[in-house]
Amino acid sequence: MKFRRIVSHLVAISLLLAQVLSPVHAAMVGTTDYLGVQDRASLVATVDAVLARADVRDELVAMGVDPAAALERVDALSDAELQQLAGQLESLPAGGDGFLALVGAVFVVLIILELTGVINIFNKA
Amino acid sequence: MRLGAALLVLGIVLGGCVSTRPPLRSAPVELTDVPFFAQTAYQCGPAALATVLNDSGLDILPADITSDVFIPDRKGSLQIELVAAARRHGRLPYLIEGDVEALLTELEAGRPVLVLQNLAFRRWPKWHYAVVVGYLPGRDRFVLRSGRKERRQTPTGLFAHRWSLADSWGFVVLDEGELPASASADGWVRTLAASEGRIDPEFARAGYEAGLARWPDNPLLLFAAANFHYGSGDQAGALKLYRHVLELEPAHPAARNNLANLLLERGCVTQARLEIDRALADLPADDPLRPALEDTRNEARAADEGSAECRQVEPGSDGKPEDAWQ
Repeated sequence: MKFRRIVSHLVAISLLLAQVLSPVHAAMVGTTDYLGVQDRASLVATVDAVLARADVRDELVAMGVDPAAALERVDALSDAELQQLAGQLESLPAGGDGFLALVGAVFVVLIILELTGVINIFNKA
Repeated sequence: MRLGAALLVLGIVLGGCVSTRPPLRSAPVELTDVPFFAQTAYQCGPAALATVLNDSGLDILPADITSDVFIPDRKGSLQIELVAAARRHGRLPYLIEGDVEALLTELEAGRPVLVLQNLAFRRWPKWHYAVVVGYLPGRDRFVLRSGRKERRQTPTGLFAHRWSLADSWGFVVLDEGELPASASADGWVRTLAASEGRIDPEFARAGYEAGLARWPDNPLLLFAAANFHYGSGDQAGALKLYRHVLELEPAHPAARNNLANLLLERGCVTQARLEIDRALADLPADDPLRPALEDTRNEARAADEGSAECRQVEPGSDGKPEDAWQ
């Protein structure tokens, strides 16, 4: 697993170098780069994106996504999207089920009762 | 802490039950043709996405989308992956501005809006996707395709509250050549740039065209369109657009830099040097674009003036027909 990771990072870096060393586009400023500068992000963000791609794929697989599907899914993401996801898959909002809203309603009732002094469940003392 | 909780409860109760605000619109709007897919367990993401994709003319079931977006261990789907899945199915997703005004504008233009809501609390969230299809001022309700309800009516204030707890996040899906009614030029450029290489190039071309028809003199859009034309091999189109940017905004370093590169590629070394020197002269020393511009200048200096014939022809000059540049 560790070896695979190292290899994937090496591949990522070599792809990136190929991009950087491409003679024709060397000094063109692309739209994404330009927007990045406007947003005060760094021009080296692309480096992170290539690494983020491997991270997000590994995380998806670790969270139960089929490896082949995970690969297709990271391919569908832009660099900026990959960077937003990397390391955040546990914490970002995951919309799933609306049915448990009832639990929320019960909680509201409990808070109201607590605040009005009818019950006393949130104070430890 | 207690005060905060009390205010929260008050907000929900007031938002949900009493509304003294004037209605947001005088006329109701409801998109009754938007299909409905009742969600199965944890699948509100695929159900909501299938709803807007089918409304946009595709024939697709929530089950076809599950493997694109669902994360088993999270029992749900992430926003970014829903957006990416819309692209994978051949539609351009546009994130609307996070306010009710933009939401209503899209509804009135006939587009349902996929939204994320937090049905519970900021600290104890319950995330849920749904599709807003209508607004009824008389009853002070939004109408949503949500969960297992085809026509869930949520009080305006309660919806706004739940939506704001999810940063008022929502998007519409677009077919080729469509432009959202509520779009800003900046938002449109970001949408097209994020989708670059991930949607059909013809789709992107139609997107820039539609954008330029609405905002013909927006420097950012012109610059992005120029880059797109350059990337697709249309040097003449790109040149024209970079020049248009620079007419509107002479101190646009990125546009002048790219113009200089383009001139270099066409063998117009002298002109390229003039352009890049001018761009660098106006640029602050710590500008993040400086390295790219200096690269261009070094290339221009190294280029041999006599090595290539300058294929720079102004439209109309030199006796060439104008359409050679189209």
